[in-house]
Amino acid sequence: MTAETQKTKGQKKTARIRPWIQGFFFMFVLITSLNHLLEESGQSIPFWPQASLHAICPFGGVVSLYQFFTVGTFVQKIHESAFVLMAAAFVLAVLAGPVLCGWICPLGTFQEWISKLGRKLTGKRFGSYIPGAADRVLRYFRYVVLAWVIYQTAVTGKLIFQDVDPYFALFNLWSEELAPAALAVLGATALLSLITDRPWCKYACPYGAVLGLSNKFRIFKIRRATSTCIDCGACDRACPMGIKVSGMEVVKDHQCISCLECTSEYHCPVPVTVELKVIGGDLK
Amino acid sequence: MKMKSWMLGAAAVAIMFGSVLISDALGYWQTESTKTPAVITTGEFAGEADPADIRGSYSFGDVEAAFGVRAKVLAEAFGVDPADAESFQLKSLETVYEALAEVGTEVGTGSVRYFVALYTGLPYALTEEVYLPQPAVDLLIKEGKVAGEAAEALKAIAVEIPAAKTGGAVTEESTEQSSADAAASGEAEGDASLEGLLIKGKTTFREVLDAGVSEADLERALGAEMPNPLTVIKTFCTEQGLDFETVKTALQALVEAE
Repeated sequence: MTAETQKTKGQKKTARIRPWIQGFFFMFVLITSLNHLLEESGQSIPFWPQASLHAICPFGGVVSLYQFFTVGTFVQKIHESAFVLMAAAFVLAVLAGPVLCGWICPLGTFQEWISKLGRKLTGKRFGSYIPGAADRVLRYFRYVVLAWVIYQTAVTGKLIFQDVDPYFALFNLWSEELAPAALAVLGATALLSLITDRPWCKYACPYGAVLGLSNKFRIFKIRRATSTCIDCGACDRACPMGIKVSGMEVVKDHQCISCLECTSEYHCPVPVTVELKVIGGDLK
Repeated sequence: MKMKSWMLGAAAVAIMFGSVLISDALGYWQTESTKTPAVITTGEFAGEADPADIRGSYSFGDVEAAFGVRAKVLAEAFGVDPADAESFQLKSLETVYEALAEVGTEVGTGSVRYFVALYTGLPYALTEEVYLPQPAVDLLIKEGKVAGEAAEALKAIAVEIPAAKTGGAVTEESTEQSSADAAASGEAEGDASLEGLLIKGKTTFREVLDAGVSEADLERALGAEMPNPLTVIKTFCTEQGLDFETVKTALQALVEAE
């Protein structure tokens, strides 16, 4: 049975909810950042929460952990709110993996939008520009970035990462705090997104590195039923992180972002074959 | 047990926003540094806000909320545009009065602490030279907050608001211009002092070490063993019962000697 046959048998694809949630969080962060700018000039949107970008970034909580447990204070510019959001992201990660990466992170959303344009420009060559061997090695580079950020922040007590953080740059293009290096990294991320999916997430994101570890022990995992799988490779092609889902029964790859694009709800043409479920779930 | 995409999406929104709502209800949701000064712990004024804990990150509005001194009064005293009074941060005074600071006459957060103490009658021990703008001194005398010898003493530390800032009150715009002027002046004269570390309420021991001060010198100035370098100096002083202004002056001297 071919994938095409499966589709014509009337499998009803679920309406896509992820892009809506991504768009919502992107706009939420954008408006919050603009509101912070307005607030500094004595104006603000009355009903909108007033917070800096640092205050609503869960990675700020991660880099503050060392200082919090050794000195009892936060890294400069980080507040309790970052700890709260860090804890929420960890709860989500334990439940279903790096959901924050796949559903919430505005920089991930930004890269996906650029990649849509890239696919139109490069056609079938999209995603094939970076050699496989280099790609495999580079995917561990984000752990180097993570170690560097945590070490530097622990030693200096300052938010060192801000100076190269493309997420901060994206929402501070109008701010005096925008660092040239961060702008350059954002530009490089945007350009690379034209030829491959989520380059920042795959190769350099330190927070993605932290959350990616949850793929090893998360409660709900993406599972593939080998008995019904037709090996069409649709799941592999759909994965924005380039994971070979068709070669696994359970996706434990540290790069999975729980976007569910590979599942039978979306790109897998066979019903009840690739699903997000707990161990012992009903695999038919 | 399976989870559909709509369930995961709903869980993502519910957990993120739910955590905010719950932490807010528990009083843990803070998106900025608290602007509540420490209270005086002993004596007649125990329980009152301590002017010594006013920080550079406070705005005139924050000072009004904590001490009851109206932001517009502070704006008048320090020559700030009343329209900017609520949001004007104390640390901006350093830029406004930079020309005076260069000749050793500093008007900054310390001046506001002193003014607030005089205005409210709260105790405040001066540990460094403090100057007040002429309008601040005039206001204190006019409102009867000081009189007699104290008024005469205040007149001796009164300074005029820098000429470029008069003829209209100080605005955020003029503050930025002053900053740019100062930077330009520093570049032209190669004035290293403008690039040096200025110890403030949020400065950590790490920053002092990074400025070239040795750990041994630092501990001599403290009279105690240096804690974790990431500790904020002011926090350490508060915990150890040391006077921050005294420690700050000693450490600033070490930084400037480097």
